[in-house]
Amino acid sequence: MRGVRKSFGRLVALDGADLTGHSGEVHGVVGENGAGKTTLMNVLAGMVRPQGGEVFVEGVPVEFSKPRDAWRRGIGMVHQHFTLVPRLSVLENVALGVRSGGHGFRLPYPRIRRRLDELRKLTGFAVADEVRVEDLSAGERQRVEILKLLVRDPEVLIFDEPTAVLAPQEVKELIGVFRRLASDGRTVLLIAHKLDEVLEAADRITVLRNGATVHQCLRADADAGVLTRAMVGRDVHRGVRASVPAGPTIAKLMRVGATGSHGQAAVAEVGLEVRRGEIVGIAGVDGNGQGELSEILAAVREPDSGTVELPDHIGFIPADRVGEALIGSFNLSENLALALVNDSAFRQGPLIRWSDVRARTAEAVDRYGIGASGPQTRTAHLSGGNQQKLVVARELKRSRDLLVARNPTRGLDVSAAEFVRGELLRLCSQRGPSSEFDDRPGIVLISTDLDEILELADRIHVIVRGRLLPVEQSEASRETIGRLMLAGAEGPDGG
Amino acid sequence: MAADGHRLGPLTVSLVALTLTGIFTAGALWIGGYAPMSALGSLFTGAFGSVDRFLSVTLVHAVPLVLTGLAVAVAFRAGVWNIGAEGQFYAGAVAGVWMGLHVGHLPAVMAISATLLAAGVAGSLWALVPALMRLRLGVGEVITTILMNFVAVHLVSYVVRWPLQEARGVFPNTDMVGEAVRLPILIPGTRLHAGFALAMVLCLVLWAVFRFTAFGFGVRAVGASEAAARLSGRIDVRRVVLSTFLISGALAGLAGGVEISGRTFALYEGLSPGWGYTAIAVALLAGLNPLGVVFTGILFGALEGGAGAMQREAGVPAAWVSGIEALVMLAVLAVDQAARRIRPVVLDVTHRREAQEAQGV
Repeated sequence: MRGVRKSFGRLVALDGADLTGHSGEVHGVVGENGAGKTTLMNVLAGMVRPQGGEVFVEGVPVEFSKPRDAWRRGIGMVHQHFTLVPRLSVLENVALGVRSGGHGFRLPYPRIRRRLDELRKLTGFAVADEVRVEDLSAGERQRVEILKLLVRDPEVLIFDEPTAVLAPQEVKELIGVFRRLASDGRTVLLIAHKLDEVLEAADRITVLRNGATVHQCLRADADAGVLTRAMVGRDVHRGVRASVPAGPTIAKLMRVGATGSHGQAAVAEVGLEVRRGEIVGIAGVDGNGQGELSEILAAVREPDSGTVELPDHIGFIPADRVGEALIGSFNLSENLALALVNDSAFRQGPLIRWSDVRARTAEAVDRYGIGASGPQTRTAHLSGGNQQKLVVARELKRSRDLLVARNPTRGLDVSAAEFVRGELLRLCSQRGPSSEFDDRPGIVLISTDLDEILELADRIHVIVRGRLLPVEQSEASRETIGRLMLAGAEGPDGG
Repeated sequence: MAADGHRLGPLTVSLVALTLTGIFTAGALWIGGYAPMSALGSLFTGAFGSVDRFLSVTLVHAVPLVLTGLAVAVAFRAGVWNIGAEGQFYAGAVAGVWMGLHVGHLPAVMAISATLLAAGVAGSLWALVPALMRLRLGVGEVITTILMNFVAVHLVSYVVRWPLQEARGVFPNTDMVGEAVRLPILIPGTRLHAGFALAMVLCLVLWAVFRFTAFGFGVRAVGASEAAARLSGRIDVRRVVLSTFLISGALAGLAGGVEISGRTFALYEGLSPGWGYTAIAVALLAGLNPLGVVFTGILFGALEGGAGAMQREAGVPAAWVSGIEALVMLAVLAVDQAARRIRPVVLDVTHRREAQEAQGV
């Protein structure tokens, strides 16, 4: 791919991006959020038509206008979101990806079965044909997604941040699969934002910044420092947490249980105590009860059993930016008002003091560097990173006693994530200037990003199938936490 | 419902939809063997041809349409799919005529207030049934509100034959309510009654409620995203849903009371030619904006009002107007959806995510 350009309206997504993938290699594509990684890969997969530049496959210039065009040239992509039908079995889902070879209306199941057996040998994936996808864990679903792609025998496989939903051990396995696919003569293009994974998996690395290729190198010539400098354009230091003694207990859960949306036990027998001035980290693979637990802690859900003692002023950063934290059709001020609507400072009888809300919004936009044309901008038109900043700005402000944060830096680029982590640390370590008593909030950080938890948390728990497992301070490491994350993970339900 | 996936304003959507409706109607009339221009011309003069026709026919027809249209707009704004304005209208009409027949001896202000209050309360109670079924049992209100319409229609049939039948006992209708219960005429010499002013005031009030008050904000938030409203921890979603049901029912019930007290003075079967259903088109075309309902209500009042003239002068059956109303609704929905597609930025989920990613630079 050479000099690829693409813009969406006034947004320039790609501005002269180059990438050369060789057969038999794993090729890492890294860059900050918004650097254009996904767009570039979507161009290659025929999902997006570029406005400039050239794409070659085996030296021949090609123009893809739809995904099927790319398919014909042996290029396939596994997206961030899953494309499986939960109600169908693994075999049926794989068959959905097979277009031809059947007789009339019948699908060539025996052939697909044989092919799946071969692929299981190649990849080492042990997923039974007849299991329904809805009964699989996130990691297993991803394996099915990969099998579905492989059945069609592509030459080039594109993976968009495939490790986001996996436990560390699963990531290792997946990297092994990538290596095997490459040694089989295929090209694996891997979009990632975790540098250590790219460094482990890739033979060659392309770095994008602001839609352009800024660095191309072999694995042997790269290290984390080089890549980070290329991505960000400067050095980045992660802060180190100064240990501060925690204050009195501010939130307490005792033997709390809750049922999920399908009637299964989502959270069971959870006991948790949060003290002022501390960050309690809860690690785990998504879908293990984090949603229910975070809502209970944020006092927006009643538990079905057990007792909770929660403070008055709680901030809550839910997992999804749009739809949970923000309303896309509302503008910035209206989204801020979601948290302020009952606050007497922003009310005059039944009326909302919109001028004060707008002032508060302008302040947040300023302080957090939210890229928006003004408080009247609709949040749906903001980038994911800017949306997240708005959520963080709103929720930190009201976390006088407790902050419940799920993946607070998801979707933020390196410098913005650094800023938010700094804000979290400041929030829970600074006492008010004149107060004699402890007025620091406590923070519950629920994250799938282990590094973030290890960096920020004073105490760590792992959530597995709705249960909290404490991690001993002395043995808090990627390996122990990873082992605990997988401890009860035969399936997503139960508990 | 409000246009949030694209950047065309609700006004643009409505104007495009109306243009399309005009084109399709003309085409359909032509295929049906009528002269489209003369049919639409007589429809227009029937509605706007003279000051008296406009005031006495178009605006008088607009009153129940504006009120029921408001009822639908308020409900839809909160994501409460109240298709039951027709039933709530009839519940209001029944309660209104009952009250009207009992308070005729009181001073006019009290008699009218009591009548309209009874109508509003009855409409609310009629909406309370589907509201509770949704909140307690999780039964979708689309079905229950429609079913309640049938119950209300048959209730009217019963009421006008038995308990409230006219004293002579001949026809299936009630006696006329007394002078004290009748709404005053706004402009002497026309049939335009005070119900029109009431409808206009309510449009303005609700517009202000949505724009300035915490309650209106809560309604909009719940309608735009129930999850976000709930997770904010500041909005009681169940309370918002319940209040919206009740307000919506009260508005539709009030429309029934205003018809009794302002136009017909008695209750009979078929009092509404489907106001409560047309109300959905009124609300959608208005983009669920209470101020927009003023205009769309009058527009549909003109359609209803001009239908008779079209039948007399161009020989086109008045029933064609129902078809036109349905076309308006389809056109609004189609244009709204189509507008989502033509915006390149929001072509599909993948593209949108990319666009967001690109913005984050």
